Amino acid sequence: MRILLFGSIAEKAGTSVLEMNAPSLHSLRHQLIARIPGLEQMRYAIAIDRRVTVEDQALTGSEEIAVLPPFAGG
Amino acid sequence: MSSSGPHKVKDIFVEGAIDPAFIATSIAKHASRTDIGAHEIFLGQVRADTVDGTAVVAIEYTAYREMALEAMTRIREEAFEKWPAITCLHVHHGLGLIPTGALCFMVFASAPHRKAAREAVAWIVDRIKADLPIFGREILSDSTHLWKTNQ
Repeated sequence: MRILLFGSIAEKAGTSVLEMNAPSLHSLRHQLIARIPGLEQMRYAIAIDRRVTVEDQALTGSEEIAVLPPFAGG
Repeated sequence: MSSSGPHKVKDIFVEGAIDPAFIATSIAKHASRTDIGAHEIFLGQVRADTVDGTAVVAIEYTAYREMALEAMTRIREEAFEKWPAITCLHVHHGLGLIPTGALCFMVFASAPHRKAAREAVAWIVDRIKADLPIFGREILSDSTHLWKTNQ
């Protein structure tokens, strides 16, 4: 599955797109922390299909997933 | 880009700063809407914050556009539900490098009377800051950068 990264998180990862395989959001979080230096210490949210999602859920691989640092619009 | 009504997904993003002349034109376009009695406009300007003695010279804005536009559509629909008197609502946000002193954000609501326009704009500005995935890289005068976070 394709993971979109933004802002400071894309900077930390050195890319704005990652390819990963995770059966659940919980598993994906672990992989992201292993892959992106310093992510565990950062404030961030994960959006699934353009909605911030907190609860663990199964992933099929067809979702649009994004890792979002704190918002700064306005 | 700036017609009225709550149900269309609109692109709020513009490349670079918002030109004050664009805002003036935007106001002028409402002259034919004689049911309007009040315009309320919020403008966000890039502030030269100082971080450990080093000044911010610009903010480079990026966005997760698709999610931001979906969130904006929901905010717009809620606003028209909460304040049915609103006749039109225009929202624009700059992307890319915007220098200090330039305008990065505009929320413009019109209504027959001021109360609805004022309340709606205040509410919409807060919602946009909280809900839209827009990211700001603050460029400092020594060429380093920091990532802006809304409070």
